[in-house]
Amino acid sequence: MDRNTAIKVSNLTHTVTSNTGDLTILKGINMEIKESESVAIVGSSGSGKSTLLGLLAGLDVNTSGDIFLYDQEFSNQSEEERALARGQYVGFVFQSFHLLPSLQAIENVMLPAELKGDKEARKKAEVLLDKVGLSHRLTHYPNQLSGGEQQRVAIARAFASNPKVLFADEPTGNLDEENGKLIIKLLFDLNQSQGTTLVMVTHDNELAKMCDRQLVMSAGQLTEKAL
Amino acid sequence: MSFAFRLMFRDIRSGDLLTLLLALVISVSTVTSIGLFVDRLQLSFEKESANLLAADRLIRSDDVISPEWEQKAKELSLQTAQRTSFTTMMFADNSLQLSQLSAVTDSYPLRGAYLIDDKLFGTGRRSVETPKQGEVWISSRLASLLNVKLGDQVEVGDQPLTVTQFLVRDPGSSASAFAISPRAVMNMADLAATNVIIPGSRVRYSLLLAGDRASLDEYEDWITPQLNESQRWRTPTQRGERIGDTIGRAESFLLLAGTLAVVMSGVAMALASSRFVKRHLMQVAILKTLGATPKQLGRLFFLQLFLLFVAGAAIGLGIGWGIQEIIASLLSGLMSTALPEPSIGRLWLGVATGFISMVAFCLPLMSHLIKISPLSVLQPNAKIEFNSFAIYAIGFVGMFGLMCLYTNGFLLPSIMTVAILGIALLVGAIGWLAFKLGRSLTSGATSGWQIGLASLYRRLVPNLFQLLVFTLIIMLTLILTGVRSNLIADWQQQLPEDAPNHYLFNVQANQIDPINAQTSKLGVKASAWYPMVRGRVTEVNNESVQSLYPEERNEPELYERELNLTWSDTLGEGNELVEGDFSAPGLSVEQEAAKEANLSLGDELTINIGGNLVTLPITSIRTVDWGSMQPNFYLILPKSALEDYPANFVSSMFISDREAQSFYRAMAQYPTVSILNVGDILRQIQAIIGQLSKAIQLVLFCILSAGALVLLASVRSTLQERLEEGALLRVLGARAALVRQALLVEFGALGFFAGLIAAIGAETCLFGLQVFVFNTEASFHPLLWLLGPAIGVLVITTIGVFASRTVLKVPPMLLLRGL
Repeated sequence: MDRNTAIKVSNLTHTVTSNTGDLTILKGINMEIKESESVAIVGSSGSGKSTLLGLLAGLDVNTSGDIFLYDQEFSNQSEEERALARGQYVGFVFQSFHLLPSLQAIENVMLPAELKGDKEARKKAEVLLDKVGLSHRLTHYPNQLSGGEQQRVAIARAFASNPKVLFADEPTGNLDEENGKLIIKLLFDLNQSQGTTLVMVTHDNELAKMCDRQLVMSAGQLTEKAL
Repeated sequence: MSFAFRLMFRDIRSGDLLTLLLALVISVSTVTSIGLFVDRLQLSFEKESANLLAADRLIRSDDVISPEWEQKAKELSLQTAQRTSFTTMMFADNSLQLSQLSAVTDSYPLRGAYLIDDKLFGTGRRSVETPKQGEVWISSRLASLLNVKLGDQVEVGDQPLTVTQFLVRDPGSSASAFAISPRAVMNMADLAATNVIIPGSRVRYSLLLAGDRASLDEYEDWITPQLNESQRWRTPTQRGERIGDTIGRAESFLLLAGTLAVVMSGVAMALASSRFVKRHLMQVAILKTLGATPKQLGRLFFLQLFLLFVAGAAIGLGIGWGIQEIIASLLSGLMSTALPEPSIGRLWLGVATGFISMVAFCLPLMSHLIKISPLSVLQPNAKIEFNSFAIYAIGFVGMFGLMCLYTNGFLLPSIMTVAILGIALLVGAIGWLAFKLGRSLTSGATSGWQIGLASLYRRLVPNLFQLLVFTLIIMLTLILTGVRSNLIADWQQQLPEDAPNHYLFNVQANQIDPINAQTSKLGVKASAWYPMVRGRVTEVNNESVQSLYPEERNEPELYERELNLTWSDTLGEGNELVEGDFSAPGLSVEQEAAKEANLSLGDELTINIGGNLVTLPITSIRTVDWGSMQPNFYLILPKSALEDYPANFVSSMFISDREAQSFYRAMAQYPTVSILNVGDILRQIQAIIGQLSKAIQLVLFCILSAGALVLLASVRSTLQERLEEGALLRVLGARAALVRQALLVEFGALGFFAGLIAAIGAETCLFGLQVFVFNTEASFHPLLWLLGPAIGVLVITTIGVFASRTVLKVPPMLLLRGL
C-alpha cells in the first residue's frame, strides 16, 4: 500500500441475511483515500453509505474483498484486534451524538484516552472542550446540553484519541442550520490543524461540496463524482 | 482497575447500577433477615421444647446406658446428665405409696428448670439445682398420700431420704405427661444403696445431652447405628409428638416462605440486570467504537459486578442483621422466652444468595452485553441477540440451587418448582385470555380504560409475569389467612378458656358421688363419668389379629395395645355419629381407627376382657374431637357387655390456678385416685402456636416486600417504553389525568386478576388442606374472594403508579429529545 494511502478498498462485497433471504448491500467496491484527504460519501437512503462507513472503520466484517486502514487489514482481524486498531487510528462523530448519558461532558471526552490508560486524559479533554467552545460546560450531563453542544462534545471526544482517520455519519443531520454550520466549521478546522483524514457520510450537498472528493453510493456501487 | 472504579461510580451516580445494587441489597438483606430470624425462632422452639426434654437431645433405653456413650459425648464437649426412672413403693412412718421415681445426676436438668415449693400444693419457684445426696423432692400429692411434711424421712428400698422440697414440676416430666403415679426425684448417688433396681425391673434409663448443634449432629451420626430396638434417639422437634409436629410444620413453612422470598429477590435482580443491560447496550457499542476491546470490556464489567457484589453483600448483611434485630425486639414482648442470639454462621446464606444471584441473574446477561456489535451505533434499532433459553436455564439453575441451599434438600425445591410451573401455566393461560378479552372489548385511545387495557395486552409477557408473581404472593397470603384460622382456632378458639385441664383416673363407682360433692362445693364442673375397662382386640371376623398382622407389622393402633373400653347410652361431647345406629347392641368405633384397620359396619371384633372373650358386630362409626379434652374412646361397647366387669371411672374437669390448691387438698382424701394435670402442656402448646403465628405473619411481610420489589423492578424495566408512550400521548394533547387513568386501569386490572386467580387457588388449596391435612370439614371462605382482589388492586396499583410516577412528571419535550 502506498505510503500516503490511509484507506484502500478492493473488491469489497457485503451481504446480509434477512428474513426475506440474502441481500447484497455492497457490490464490488474499489476505492482509495489518501492521508489528510476529506471525502464525502453521498447517496440516497438505504444505498449502503452507513454500511460502507462501518466496514471502513472496522465496526463489522465484510463478506469478501479487502479493506486496509493504514497497515491494518480488517478482513482478517478478530474483534479484539479491530478494537485495538480503532482505538489507535479512528475517531467517530455520529448523527445522534452517542454521548454516554451517565457521564458528564468532560468524562465523555476523556473516555478514549482513559481506555488507552492515558494519565493526562482529563487535561487533554479540557483543552479539546475549550477548542470546541465548551469550557464552561465541562460538568454538564448530555441531557443538560443542546443538540449543537452535544455534537461539539462528540467532536471533542472524536479528536481526543488523536485519530488518523475521522469517520462522521451525518454529523449535522440532527442539527438546525446555524448549529450545523458551526459543527462543520469545527470539524474542518480541527481536521486541518490535526492533519486528520476525514470520511463523512452526508445528505447535505453544501457539506459534501466542502470536501476534497465526493463519492456517490448508488445501489451498492460507488462512483466518483466529478467536481 | 481505577477506570473500572470511575466508570462504576459514574454509573451509580446515574442510577442504573444503583437499581441493581438496590436489588442485590434487598435480596441479601431479605434472605439474611429471614435466615437469621428463622434461626432464632428455631433455636427458641428447640429451647422451649428442650425444656420438655430437659435436654437438647436424649437417648432413652430400657437397658443400662453404656459409659462409652457418655464418654463420647464428653469428647464432643457436650454436657451430659443421666436420669433413671422407675416405679417403686415409697414408705413413710405408717403408710406406703406406689410412686414414679426419678434418680438424676447433679447436672440434671440440662435445659429448663424444676418448679419446687416449700409449701404443700404451692405454685412453685424455679430451680435448676437437683436434690442433694440423701434428699428427695416429692409431689404434694405424694406427700399427702404418705402424710409427710418437709424434713420428714421416707424410704426408698433400703435407703432413707429426707423430704426437702415439694415438687411442682419436673422439667422432663411432660415427655411422659400421662404417667399417673405420684412423682418424686432423688439424687443418682443414692440409687445404688436403695437396692430397688434388680434384674428384670422395669426401668427407663435416659442419657441427656446438651451443646452446640454441630456436636449434637455429629453425636447423632455416631450413635444412631448403635441403637437397638429398645433404645430411642429423641429430639425436641421429633415427629410423633404434638409440639414437635407443630414446630416441624412451622419450620417447613418458614423455609418454604423464605425460599419464595429468595425466588422473588432473584427475579427482581434479573429484572434489574435486564434493564441495566438494555440501558448499557449503546454504551458498550460506543465504547467499542472508541477502541475498547471485548477483553477490556469483559474485565471492566466483571470487576464492576464483583465490586457491586462486595458492596451489596456488605450493605445487605448489615441491613438484614438490623431488620431481624428490630423484628426480634418488636416481638420480644410477645414471646414467652427471650429469643436466643442468631448464629453468625447463618450469615453465609446471605452472602451465598448475593453471589449466586449475581452469577445466575447478572452474569449471563452481562456477558451478552459485551458481545454487542459496535455497528449498532450506526443502526440505532439494533438489538442484542440473546440466547434466551440459556439465560433462563442459568437463572433457573441458580434459583433452584438457592432453594436447595435454603431448605437443605432437593425435595421441597422440586415440589415448589413443579407447583410454581403448574400455577404459571394456569395463570399464563387465564391471564392471556383475560388480557386478550380486555383488548378486544376496547379499541381507540380516547379513555384511560382503553389505553390501560390495551397496555396489558401489548406488554403481554412482562404483565403475565407480574400476574404470576402477584398471584403467588396473594395466594400465599390468603392461604395463610385461612390456615391460620384453622391452625390457631383448633387450639385457641375451639378450645375454650374453661376446657378441662385435669383428668381423674382410677375412680371407684362409690367415690363418684363424694367427689362430685367436693368439686361442686369448689364450683368445679366435671364432665360425664365414664366407666373404663381394659381389653384387647384379639380377632377380627373370627380371624386372629396375629395371623392378620404377622410379626406385628403395620398393625393398626386399634389392635396393637390394650385399650380402654367404656359403655355409654348417649354420644358423649365431641362425638358425632357418622354411620349406623349408636343405640344398637354392638360396637361403636372411632372413624379414623376404623379406617386404619379397614373396618366397616357389620364387621365382628372379638375382645379379650380380663380373660373372657366378647364378640360383637360394629353397629356404629363415629368421629371424635380429640382436642376437646374430654375422655374419649376408640371403642364404646353396649352396657350389657361390660357391666359385669369391675370398672374404674374417668372424668375431666377444668381447675383454675386459684382453685388448684383447694382441689388438690380435697382430693388428698382419695389416695387411690390419680390426677393428671395437662394444663401446663396446653399452655406451652398455645404459647408456641402463638409465636408461630407471629413468625408466619412476619415472613409473609418479607415475601410481600420482595414481591413489591419485583413489581418495582418490573415496572422500571418497562419504564422507558412507558415514558415514551406517555410523552407521545401528552404531546398529542392527552391530559395528565388520562395518562394517570390509563396507568391506574393497567395496574388495577393486573391486581384484580392476580387477586381473583389467587382467591380461586387459595380456596382450592384450603379445601385440600382442610380435608386432607387438618381433617376438618371443608368450608367456603367468602372473605378470601373479597380480600384477594382488594389486596391485589390496592398493592399493585400503589406500587405500579409509584414506580411509574415519572411518566407523569417528566416534561414531554425532554423525553422526545431523547427519542
